[in-house]
Amino acid sequence: MSTDDLVMESLLEAFIHETNEMLEQLDEILLDSERAKSITDENINSIFRITHTIKGSAAMMSFNTISQLAHSVEDVFFILRENPSSLRLVFNSIFDLVFKASDFFKRELERLQDSEYIEGDASEIIAQLTSQAVIIKGSPEPVSAASVTSAVSDGSDILSHDGSVSILVYFENDCGMENVRAFMLLSQLSPFCDEMASIPANPEADSALAAEIIKNGFKVICKPSHSLDVVLNVIESALSIRSYEVLAEETIKLDDGIADASSESNMGDTSQAVLDTKIDTIKNQAQASAGGVKQSLISVNQLKLDHLMDLVGEIVTAESMVARNPDILGLRLDNFTKSVRELRKLTDELQDIVMSIRMVPLLGTFHKMDRIVRDMGKKLGKKADLITEGGDTEVDKTINDAIVDPLMHMIRNSMDHAIETPEARIALGKPEVGTLVLSARNTGGEILITISDDGAGLDTEKLLAKAKANGMLQKPEASYSEKEIFNLILLPGFSTNTNVTEFSGRGVGMDVVKKNIDQVGGTISINSEKGKGTTFTIKIPLTLAIVDGMNIAVGKTVFTLPITAIRQSFKITDESQIIRNSDGTEMILQRGECFPIARLKKLFDIEAGCENISDGIMIQVDSNNSGYCLFADELLGEYQVVVKPFPVFLKKYNLKNQGISGCSVLGDGSISLILDVNTLRND
Amino acid sequence: MTNLEKKAELSDFLNDRYLLFTIEGSYYGLPLAMALEILTVQSITKLPRVADYVKGIINLRGKVIPVLDVRKKLGIPERPYDDANCIIVIEIRDVHVGLIVDMVSEVATVPADRVIPPPKTIGENSNFISSVSQLDNKIVLNLDCERFFANDFEIAVS
Repeated sequence: MSTDDLVMESLLEAFIHETNEMLEQLDEILLDSERAKSITDENINSIFRITHTIKGSAAMMSFNTISQLAHSVEDVFFILRENPSSLRLVFNSIFDLVFKASDFFKRELERLQDSEYIEGDASEIIAQLTSQAVIIKGSPEPVSAASVTSAVSDGSDILSHDGSVSILVYFENDCGMENVRAFMLLSQLSPFCDEMASIPANPEADSALAAEIIKNGFKVICKPSHSLDVVLNVIESALSIRSYEVLAEETIKLDDGIADASSESNMGDTSQAVLDTKIDTIKNQAQASAGGVKQSLISVNQLKLDHLMDLVGEIVTAESMVARNPDILGLRLDNFTKSVRELRKLTDELQDIVMSIRMVPLLGTFHKMDRIVRDMGKKLGKKADLITEGGDTEVDKTINDAIVDPLMHMIRNSMDHAIETPEARIALGKPEVGTLVLSARNTGGEILITISDDGAGLDTEKLLAKAKANGMLQKPEASYSEKEIFNLILLPGFSTNTNVTEFSGRGVGMDVVKKNIDQVGGTISINSEKGKGTTFTIKIPLTLAIVDGMNIAVGKTVFTLPITAIRQSFKITDESQIIRNSDGTEMILQRGECFPIARLKKLFDIEAGCENISDGIMIQVDSNNSGYCLFADELLGEYQVVVKPFPVFLKKYNLKNQGISGCSVLGDGSISLILDVNTLRND
Repeated sequence: MTNLEKKAELSDFLNDRYLLFTIEGSYYGLPLAMALEILTVQSITKLPRVADYVKGIINLRGKVIPVLDVRKKLGIPERPYDDANCIIVIEIRDVHVGLIVDMVSEVATVPADRVIPPPKTIGENSNFISSVSQLDNKIVLNLDCERFFANDFEIAVS
C-alpha cells in the first residue's frame, strides 16, 4: 500500500468516526426536540453546524452525495434559523425527513467501509427537503438564503460597481502550506467566477508567501458568474479554512487589485465590516471546538487496547508467579513481602485503569433504542414512551457491541407484540401511551439490564400450545412451571407471532438474543404477567478478560470457578445427609431446598480425587435458573485469573458446551480450566 | 536486506531439511520449517471429552497450546512417558500444536533427489506419508502434516 493510500485510509477512518459521532448527536437533538414539540435556537444552530461540518468533510473526501444531502439539510435549517416561526409549517415532516437523511448518512458510512463503495442515491430526500424549504420560504415572512445575504448587505454594498467582490480568507492555524492551499482555493473557485485575482498573486509560486497569508489572510477578488452564494459555498466547503470575510471594498476594482497588493497591509483591519452572519457562527464554532472538553479526549484503535489488556493480563499472571514462587515457599521474607504487596497494589491499579479505558457508557446504545421506539410507533400506529435509566452505566466495549443487537431486537419485539394499539389500550383501561422502561444498573461485577413494558404480557397457555405444536415440549405439559414456559420463547425456532412484519418475526427470534448474550457470558430471564406486561432481565459480567475466581482441585486438576457463581461452600461430615436416587444421582438438602450434586471427578473423568463425600467439599452454585452443588477435593483459594480462550485446534470439541468456558495460566505455570456453571450440567 | 529477502533466504536454508523423530523404532521426518521448538514432556492439563490422542493443553510461555500423542494418532498403543519423550511444537495453518514423540533424533538434510514417493502398497490409512527417503542405513517416512491433521482441521473449520 502506498503512503497516499495509507493517508487516505486514516482520513477515511477519521471521517467515518467523526461523522458517526455527529450523527448520533443529531439524532439525539432531533428526538429531544420532537418530544418537546419545538426546536430551540441553540438546537437549530447545532443541527446547522453538524450538517455543515458533514457537508464540508464529505466534500473534502469527495463523497458528493453525502455532501449534497447535508447541504440541503443545512439549507432548510439555515432558513429556519433566520426565521424560527416558520418551523410550525413543516414541523411534522421535517423530523421525518431529517431522520431519513441521518439514516441515509449512516448507511453510506457503513458502505464506505466496503472496498467497492458506490455512492447511494439521495435525490429523493434532497427533493423532499427542497420542497420543505420552499414551504418555509413561502411563509408570511419569506427569508431565503439568497435574500439573507442581500438583506444584510443592504447597508454597505459588497458588490462593487463592476460586480466584483473581495473575500478575505484565513486558513486554520498550523495547517501548513498555506500558499498551496490558497492556490487550490483559487482553482476551485475559478469555474464559478468570470474574472479572478488574488492578493498575493500567484501564491503557488513562492512558498515564502505562506507566512504573509498567515499574517494577513488571503484575499480573493472575483466576479461571480452566478451569485455570491455559490462562491461562498465553495469557500465554506474548502479544506482547512478557519474563517472568511466578505469585504466592503469599494476602492478596489478587479483590474487594479493586483497593483494595490503591496499597499494592502491592513486588510484584516477591524474597520472592515464583517458582513455575513454565517461567518460569526463559524468563528464561534471554531472557538468552541478549540477549547473546552473535547481536547482531553483522544480516540485509540481498539486493537491497541486489546493488546494492552493482554499485556496487563500477563503482568497479573507474572506477579502471582513471583509472589507465590515455590522457591520462596515457607520462607520468612519481610522485605520481599512488603515489595510484593506494593507491586500487587500497582498491578491492581493498572488493571483497573486499563479496564476503565475500555469502558463505554450505555447511553449511546440507549439512544439508538429511542429511535427504534419512535420509528416503530409511527409505522405501527402505536404510542409508547421509552424511559431510560442508568444510561451512564459503563460496560466493556466488547460487551457494549455485543448487546446492541439483542437490545434492539427486544425493544422491537416489545413494540411489535407487547404494546397494544392506543384504542385497545384505552379499552383495557390502560393509559393510551404505552411505557417501555430500559434500565441499566451496576451491581458490582455484573451489569443488570432490564427491559420492561406495560403491554399484553406473555400468555402461558398460548406459549404452551405453540411449543406443543412445534414439538418442543420435553415433559408433560402440566409439569411446566411458569418460568419454564417463559423460557420456551428463548428456544430456537420458537416465535409467537406467525405474521412476519417489517420489524420482527423473521424466524430469528429470542434464541438469537439468548445466543448473543450467552456469548458475552450473560444470562437472560423473563418475568411476565398476562395483561400487565413483561420484564426481561439480562445479567452480564462487567468485563470478560479477568475473572475473580475460586480455584478448586480435583486430584491434580485445577478448576477455576467464577466467584459470582458461588453461593456457598460447606463440608459434609455425615453421609446420611445425601439422598440417593435409584438412578444413581445424588441430592442434598440445604435450608429446605434440594440440590442435585455434580461430582467434578465424574463429570470430567478424573482418575484421582476423593470418592467419599465427607473427604471433599461441596460448593453450591447458581446456574441459569436453578442451583446445584459441585463436589470437589478442596478449595485452593481465591485468585484473579486471566481468561484465555481454548486454542482453535480444539474448537471441534466444543468445550464451551461441556462446562468449560476457557482456561487460565496460574502463577506456577500450570493451567486451570474455568468452569461455566450454566453448561456444566446439561441434563 | 528486506524482510522478504531474509525470509526467502531462511526458507532456502530450511529447504530439504527435516527433523527426524522416532515412534516405536521407526524414523519419521517433519519439514524443519514447520518445527518451532522442542520441549521435554511437562505437565499436561487434561481436557474432558476430546479425542483420545489429544492429551490436553500446556502452557508455553503464557500461550496455551494443545498437545497430541503421535503414537496414539498413528494407532500404536500408548506407553508411559520417559526422559526421551519430547514435545515438538509445530505451526500449521497459523495454529501451534505440540506433538509428543518417542524421541527426537536429529536434523538431516535430504536432497530432493534422494526423496522417493512412498510405495503404493502402504495403504489408505497411511496416506499422510508424503515421501520416503533413505539416509545412511535408516528409512525415513516423511510426514505430510496437512494430511496428518486433515480430520482435526476439517471439522474444526466447518
